Amino acid sequence: MTGATVAALLAQGSPLLACAVVLIALRGRPRAAAALGIAGMGVSFAASAYLVAAVAVPGHSFLAQTVFLPVDAAHSLAFGVLLDPLSTTMALVVSGITLAVMAYSTGYMAGDPGYARYFGFLALFAWAMQGLVLSANLLQTLAFWELVGLASFLLIGFWFERPAPAAAARKAFIMTRVGDVGFLLGVLLLLRALGLATIPDVIAAAAPGGALTPRTVSVAAALLLMGVIGKSAQGPLFTWLPDAMEGPTPVSALLHSATMVAAGVYLVARLHPLFMAAPAVMHALLWLALVTALATATMAMVATDIKRVLAYSTISQLGYMLMGLAAGSAAAGFFHLVTHAGFKALLFLSAGIFIHHAHSNEMQEISERAPWSQRAGVIGLVAGSAALAGVIPFAGYFSKEAILGSLGTGASPLVVALAYLGAGLTAYYAFRMVFVTLGGTGARAHGGTDAPTHGGTGERGHGATAGERAMQVTVLLLAVLTLVLGYLGPWLGARLAPGEAAHGPFDVGVGALAALALVAAGIALAWVEFGRRGARRVGFVERMPALARFFGDNWYLDRLYRATVIRWAVALARAAHWNDRTIVDGATDGLADGTIGGGRLLALVQSGYVQVYLTVALGLIAALAYVLGRAGGVP
Amino acid sequence: MTWLHWYLLVALLLFCVGLYGLVQRRSLIAMLIALELMLAAVSLNIVAITSLSGSSSSVGQVVALILIGVAAAEGAIALSLFVAIQREVQSINVENLSELKG
Repeated sequence: MTGATVAALLAQGSPLLACAVVLIALRGRPRAAAALGIAGMGVSFAASAYLVAAVAVPGHSFLAQTVFLPVDAAHSLAFGVLLDPLSTTMALVVSGITLAVMAYSTGYMAGDPGYARYFGFLALFAWAMQGLVLSANLLQTLAFWELVGLASFLLIGFWFERPAPAAAARKAFIMTRVGDVGFLLGVLLLLRALGLATIPDVIAAAAPGGALTPRTVSVAAALLLMGVIGKSAQGPLFTWLPDAMEGPTPVSALLHSATMVAAGVYLVARLHPLFMAAPAVMHALLWLALVTALATATMAMVATDIKRVLAYSTISQLGYMLMGLAAGSAAAGFFHLVTHAGFKALLFLSAGIFIHHAHSNEMQEISERAPWSQRAGVIGLVAGSAALAGVIPFAGYFSKEAILGSLGTGASPLVVALAYLGAGLTAYYAFRMVFVTLGGTGARAHGGTDAPTHGGTGERGHGATAGERAMQVTVLLLAVLTLVLGYLGPWLGARLAPGEAAHGPFDVGVGALAALALVAAGIALAWVEFGRRGARRVGFVERMPALARFFGDNWYLDRLYRATVIRWAVALARAAHWNDRTIVDGATDGLADGTIGGGRLLALVQSGYVQVYLTVALGLIAALAYVLGRAGGVP
Repeated sequence: MTWLHWYLLVALLLFCVGLYGLVQRRSLIAMLIALELMLAAVSLNIVAITSLSGSSSSVGQVVALILIGVAAAEGAIALSLFVAIQREVQSINVENLSELKG
């Protein structure tokens, strides 16, 4: 075993070990559970950092695999690790963000009755994602893919005793499952064709002249993309993600940055050559991602709940990543995934500080409860929004620039124009959020709360506790990271796609200037409508109530689903229920009732009167004698 | 018609009377008496047939005597059972003895 293998096993194994110990032995000891969870993630983070240092060399790839269940000569099930710049970088991002979220959660979740369980689930989430990132073959990927779905189900529904989180968790699980059907079929197709479906083998087989026909490649890519669409909340299957805001805010930070939704994008980056071998599918994906990015940007423009704004922005940014990947640049899409992980975690954790402080998700209510007293939150929110909007020199600028650049070379002008429009909208809704959240008057009002509903929340806020300091430090660290991550672009590009033209961080061309101008316009519009003194604080979309309702209601997609798919499913369930109750139960009940009734009927013969029996017996003998007499005696 | 036929006819009559009594009467004692009538008919048949068929043996009479003995024993057992039933259910009417009905 080489050092890399040991490190890979440590990176995956330590969160799993932490999860198992916490969930089995430390349920009643929250402090120990948090410490163990953080320690496990720390080991995982260190191992991932070692992997990046050891393996992330241009063109390097390391595969170690062991067969644990041979099926027949050509097929078997194997377990292993695939280490190359892509997987190790992603592993570092996953462990780093999870570590930050865990540290933050020590403050945010303090006093929650499920504190230990929470850290156990976080470790489970991290393990599943690390396993997915480092997996060597597609079957293993599938297994961890489902584990990621399970962990997010558990965490979204963490406060399952309330109906809304329970429903949101169910919705997330079922909607992603719809896409996963396609994913499963795609994996099975590749498994049947290639036996082990080791990722480098799959990529080699998909290349022109490889073992797979172009037709098979297209079908497999389309099927795998179904899973990606479900997981990364794209196209028709995105409505689970805004509802997933019912989970604790640090969970949202994790789910939106490095784990759940990132899995889909990561898979596309992982199998990028396979997907690029199916140009028609990639073209469809490009348009789907573009429409999703624009549609969810409009939804973010009218949302009033700060977490929902962030959720829509995540879907929109995931759309950008997939556009970059679909346009042919693995490096640009993955680069945006990395920077997005940093600034989206930052945004959610800053939002969490405000939510923790104001006990409300509504931006209006947060603004009325002295948001400026939370200095770390303000810094985090502004830095994160600037990165989201793509303001130079924050991380989002560089990665979005790389994506727009790759679109410029690999897509039609219409796509590029719409993508630029989306960048402008992003700037508008990001700074609308900033101005609405921070521009309050200080008047107090009562409203709903999403902060952890446990005793003692009122005590905090006077003098920072250790937990609150952890929250602030985490946010500030991530804010610094947001400034730094943008310069990783060339480094990543050289390792992920050595052949691609290098895209320097400050290549200011027409495209970059146009993007910056659009971003400036978006921010200016937000300032005029929400930020300046005496602003009416009503967006231009909100002046058109019909449009605002349309945007605010997920473009009526949920209504459409309720009216069609859900209704059909319910009707089918009713029919199945009727069939079960009436036909199946009826048959068994009928059998039982028939037996009993038959018994009752036959019991009437048993009158109990001796003389009746005697008469019957005599009658029978007489009849027998008559018959035998006619037949001429006993034969 | 020979003598034998007359004897057989009387025995048949006796048997039918016994059978009718057995089926029609509801008292256990009456039923036992009817049963004894039927046994008497059988005994009569045996004696008549062996005596009048021309043989000189007295086997039929012996069998008839044994039958009378058996009937007496049977009567003793049946009556003791009736007493037990009377003590149990205060009745020897068979219509009251239908606990075994379904």
